[in-house]
Amino acid sequence: MAYNSPYRGAPFGSAPPDQAFLWSIFQRVDKDRSGSISDTELQQALSNGTWTPFNPVTVRSIISMFDRDNKGGVNFNEFAGVWKYITDWQNIFRTYDRDNSGFIDRNELKQALTGFGYRLSDQFYGTLIDKFDRQRKGQVAFDDFIQCCIVLQRLTDVFRRYDTDQDGWIQVSYEQYLSMVFSVV
Amino acid sequence: MSFPYGQGYPSQGTRYPGGAYGGGMAPGAPVPPQRGSGGGPAPGYAPPPGGPAPGAPYGSNRSPGAGGAPGAPYGGGGYFGGQAPGAPYGGYGQPQGGPYGNQGLAGNIPPGVNPEAFQWFQSVDTDHSGFISLKELKQALVNSNWSAFNDETCLMMINMFDKTKSGRMDVFGFSALWVFMQQWRALFQQYDRDRSGCISGTELHQALGQMGYNLSPQFTESLATRYSAHRGHSAMQLDRFVQVCTQLQCMTEAFRERDTARSGNVRMSYEDFLSAAIVRLM
Repeated sequence: MAYNSPYRGAPFGSAPPDQAFLWSIFQRVDKDRSGSISDTELQQALSNGTWTPFNPVTVRSIISMFDRDNKGGVNFNEFAGVWKYITDWQNIFRTYDRDNSGFIDRNELKQALTGFGYRLSDQFYGTLIDKFDRQRKGQVAFDDFIQCCIVLQRLTDVFRRYDTDQDGWIQVSYEQYLSMVFSVV
Repeated sequence: MSFPYGQGYPSQGTRYPGGAYGGGMAPGAPVPPQRGSGGGPAPGYAPPPGGPAPGAPYGSNRSPGAGGAPGAPYGGGGYFGGQAPGAPYGGYGQPQGGPYGNQGLAGNIPPGVNPEAFQWFQSVDTDHSGFISLKELKQALVNSNWSAFNDETCLMMINMFDKTKSGRMDVFGFSALWVFMQQWRALFQQYDRDRSGCISGTELHQALGQMGYNLSPQFTESLATRYSAHRGHSAMQLDRFVQVCTQLQCMTEAFRERDTARSGNVRMSYEDFLSAAIVRLM
């Protein structure tokens, strides 16, 4: 990397849960007892707090993050990472979802992302809400919030690699642009 | 850290769970081999593969009609189930009851829905919910070696054809997907010149060239390797071929919108870069 990433460390990080507790959860989630938790199994185990199915795109993002050998699921060791990752996001989401509605509105999304260090225009928050508000409520649920943050982080990382003078602008050729976006999608 | 124009990325010390991309790995979090985020075009943005081929300077070597680019007439042959089992191109999987197992329902085909797609819908909708879920779609779509379609491609297709934004497809969306897949499957067969059931880097380069893209062999080889079914090789199955071509189309459109001088280079601000990708691809 050309420079340090802002994302090192997780100040919100939760203490690692004990192994017996994790194992009991893993066994409950791994419904087919395959020793590996699939997208479907993880999706069924997760709640976004609104009685709608957890965003499958978020599930795929999370599994692909921890699935070391691209086997399409996570084993028990990898599941510990998944659990911590989701718990950390839950803690963050709760800080911004002040009324505990299960949703954060545009203003709260702006507060959250500003807290992460993003400086984005009001118009862009409109784009984000429009894209990540799957339930069409003008607000973002927990699962969609995670996906929104993952996408922003990936795009920002790749932009920073090309923005060598760090002025917030890049000049790229067609193939460079394709490479950038293909590395994220 | 501050940026001109009031835009900036997160500064040091950002509070963020680790484990995602780039340098942000949580302790023990692996580098994802596939950065799957189900990137698909925006719902409602579902250009048929036969959309306008990219023009100069991204695609200059396309002669009209060359290469049977998507949108070319296809014979209406049933890729669904019309194949003998074991044929090199499996088409959709064979659901229970076969494609014609529900002919009694044929009288109720909603207007605008392809009759063959309608019959397949009945078979694929195994829980009879009236919608095709990701799981059901995965069970229905297979590559030429009968492997299931990967999750990213299935999610991309649901995003493209799910007008309801509910993460599943109704019969209208499924019908559109069915036509879309027929076109891509025909192209895949056409460009798989050695009939290996996979598209190699060379074959991908030829295919994209004939579709109108002017890309270096190195770039297409890198795509074919990254999305290869076999690590270390460049051999893309149908699912990845559809995914790559669809994403390429969306990205090219985003680039062309900004490259108004057709110079092959664009200058983009951070936020414009984010917007382009998020609106078109995520």
